[in-house]
Amino acid sequence: MSADNLIFEKSSLGARAATIRNPDVPVYAPSCALRENFDFPELTEVALVRHYTALSRMAFGVDNGFYPLGSCTMKYNPKLNEEIASFEGFTDIHPLAPEGSVQGALEVMYGLSEALKEITGMDAVTLQPAAGAHGEYTGLSIIAAYHKGRGDLARKKIIVPDSAHGTNPASAAMAGFEVINIPSDEGKGVDLDALRAAAGADTAALMLTNPTTLGLFEKNIEAIAEIVHSAGGLLYYDGANLNAVMGIVRPGDMGFDVVHLNLHKTFSTPHGGGGPGSGPVGCKRALEKYLPDPHVIKNADGTYSFAYSGDSIGKVSSFYGNFLVYLKAYAYILTLGAEGIRRSAEGAVLNANYLKAGISDLYPVEGGARHCMHEFVASCERLKEECGVSAMDVAKALIDRGMHPPTMYFPTIVHEALMFEPTETEDKATLDAAIEALRAVYDEAHADPEKLVSAPHNAVISRPDEVLAAKRQILRWKG
Amino acid sequence: MSDYIPVTEREREEMLAATGVKSVDELFADIPAGLRAGRLKLPAGLSQQEVYEKLKKTASLNRVYRSCMRGAGAYRHYIPSAVKAIASRSEFVTAYTPYQAEMSQGILRAMFEYQTYICLLTGMDVSNASLYNGATAAAEAALMTKERGRYKVFVTDNVRPDVLAVMKTYLAAKNMELVVLPAKDGLTDAEALGALLDGSAAAVYAERPNYFGLIEDFDAIGEAAHAAGAKFIGGCNPISLALLKTPADCGADIAVGEGQPLGMSLAFGGPYLGFIACKEKEVRKLPGRIVGETVDKNMRKAYVLTLQPREQHIKRERASSNICSNEALCALTATVYMGAMGKEGMREAASACTSYAHYAARKFRETGLELRYEGEFFHEFVTVAKGASDRILAALDERGILGGLRLSDDELLWCFTELNSKAEIDEATALIGGAL
Repeated sequence: MSADNLIFEKSSLGARAATIRNPDVPVYAPSCALRENFDFPELTEVALVRHYTALSRMAFGVDNGFYPLGSCTMKYNPKLNEEIASFEGFTDIHPLAPEGSVQGALEVMYGLSEALKEITGMDAVTLQPAAGAHGEYTGLSIIAAYHKGRGDLARKKIIVPDSAHGTNPASAAMAGFEVINIPSDEGKGVDLDALRAAAGADTAALMLTNPTTLGLFEKNIEAIAEIVHSAGGLLYYDGANLNAVMGIVRPGDMGFDVVHLNLHKTFSTPHGGGGPGSGPVGCKRALEKYLPDPHVIKNADGTYSFAYSGDSIGKVSSFYGNFLVYLKAYAYILTLGAEGIRRSAEGAVLNANYLKAGISDLYPVEGGARHCMHEFVASCERLKEECGVSAMDVAKALIDRGMHPPTMYFPTIVHEALMFEPTETEDKATLDAAIEALRAVYDEAHADPEKLVSAPHNAVISRPDEVLAAKRQILRWKG
Repeated sequence: MSDYIPVTEREREEMLAATGVKSVDELFADIPAGLRAGRLKLPAGLSQQEVYEKLKKTASLNRVYRSCMRGAGAYRHYIPSAVKAIASRSEFVTAYTPYQAEMSQGILRAMFEYQTYICLLTGMDVSNASLYNGATAAAEAALMTKERGRYKVFVTDNVRPDVLAVMKTYLAAKNMELVVLPAKDGLTDAEALGALLDGSAAAVYAERPNYFGLIEDFDAIGEAAHAAGAKFIGGCNPISLALLKTPADCGADIAVGEGQPLGMSLAFGGPYLGFIACKEKEVRKLPGRIVGETVDKNMRKAYVLTLQPREQHIKRERASSNICSNEALCALTATVYMGAMGKEGMREAASACTSYAHYAARKFRETGLELRYEGEFFHEFVTVAKGASDRILAALDERGILGGLRLSDDELLWCFTELNSKAEIDEATALIGGAL
């Protein structure tokens, strides 16, 4: 049987893997709506385990090697946190169990919320959103409720810089807003004149990530906050890039009113091949009452309870969000403490600047004269002109050298962009190896561009035909 | 105390020199001095051992019940060891979304298998690669159905409260209206529903089993929806689908549900898994990641993320959804669970659920508890005993049994799965008898 075969092609009639206890009560079959066409593949346990072990060997995680995927903060995921999240006292508790029986879980929720308030400089936090984009949606819904609560019904527009993550405008649309895109200035920061022109009586909020998606700190942040606030709008912080500045500068102190965090980025919880994540939202006092229900309070006797707000936007998720994910983030924060959080940000910024210094002569970095924060955007535009090798080709060549490529073609305001984010959990030897690999690829691009254009050569597959995938639309196995 | 930073003091000096600065502080020169935070008011870091011990103690403050008779949206099932072993492999756990197909074939292939399994389970043509949970899946499905002039979504008040609450939040923002009808004998009143539906109806959403555990007549609800030109969204418990007719066979246009029963622990409510699948003609509106089959340059079979023009990173404010991260590892868990259980295992688990639930219902009735509804149920049912809810729960709690969910002073919502046993149910029966 080829490794290429799907599990559906490995079925063996009558084979069993897991087995369960025979019920010791009479068998009952429902009297209606019975199904006659149920069919799943049948495998032995050893066949099943070998199948998925083979698939795991065709995957690449942080544990496999360097993963400088910009904007994604692929830092090491501590094993301690994984083990804690497997404690039976956390995994085997029902979300609707009596409050008195889940005091430990409520303590985690309360303790983490308090820590995130301090880290972000906010007055209240909800842990309910299940991912970053879900946090954006939640934060923007709170902003909508805030304006509505003040009778300010004209504020229907969210201003988004053209360098923003795609989720920002998509979340704004889902929360019922109209999106106003504004261009970046020459330094690729927010264009203050464009912002002044856009901000007005219809502005609900400006969404911003700082450091920006170019990995540069938005120096004009105070002026930006002033423009938005004096127009009556609010300032929304996309926490995707918080890893650069946690413990150094707080969104709340920069003038932001609402913030979401990506615990699966900044706070080390693993990304699981695309989730589950966790996207807590923090806000200032004036918006607190609109946060999703319920939240956890600490009573005078030291016990914890769920509490509800009459003005809440309601629920954005079933139960209380991704508990086991934010539990891991809590363990991480307890481990790092105040100093460790700051040191991590410093380490992330140092590693990014070191990597940048090692390659920026060959791959020019946008805003390269300034120190970058936790990430930077290099351009392959010159390389492409010189030898026809694109950002995509460089990325694919890095696969052959055993590292995960950086983020490609984002932000779109930089041509042939490669966005590197090494994170603080990489050692110098790894960074040196990456620099060496990138320099070797540059040389190869000039010596043998054909080889790069057809890279990768050592991966499980060569480049897939994405156009064909969209055209054929084979989205499931059909036999 | 621990910070997971591997760069040594000496290397740090070398790196600073290579970067052209004397101190790390210089790298932060762009941050205005007036904005700088002082030392965070957080405790000092702890050693790994201390964190382990502290959270072990915190975990012990949560009570793990010896026996669980509560569901209501979160279900305790047997999780085969192979599922946990595979789903904790760090190649899967520590990977990002599979943007680089060449080094993510394992994850993409598993997702393609997941999509296939969800299609087999629901009878639908296309599944996405997961949403956050059952509640957001139902809400996203409702958003898919909005069309010019059609903006109302009809539900009965017998759907899970969390699903209703999340739908309400999501629909309000998109100027869609949620119309909630009263249940009749715990069930959707298809006739009354049909009379209300008109050209403004975008969809009807119903659950089978519903919040009270009852098996709704999906065929009748689907017919009512279609007669008015509206879509029918069927919410399903995935385990029940090993026994019950698929939503597709009942005419549903979109099937959604909470995938947690497929190998995920209760975990105080998350992470869970939202599944969503639809008919082929709806695929362009489907939210989230979708994996498709193609070939590589050497004509070898390959899998990639596809139909991306629906998504936020391409379409921005015109995307079908804002979802980026989903619940990939939970989808993988569900995939391995369905593989481990297989055709017979899935049927046996579903049969054990319904068998234990019906046995419990019969025994409980002998004590004087009454069933609130007469309709056929899957593995949950509601009992009534005047003013007795708290007494019953206290008597069970004392013996390590998490009883049914309290719906009112009189009503309890019970759930049974293959993890329960005759002995447990008999014991609970005696305790309930004593409490009444």
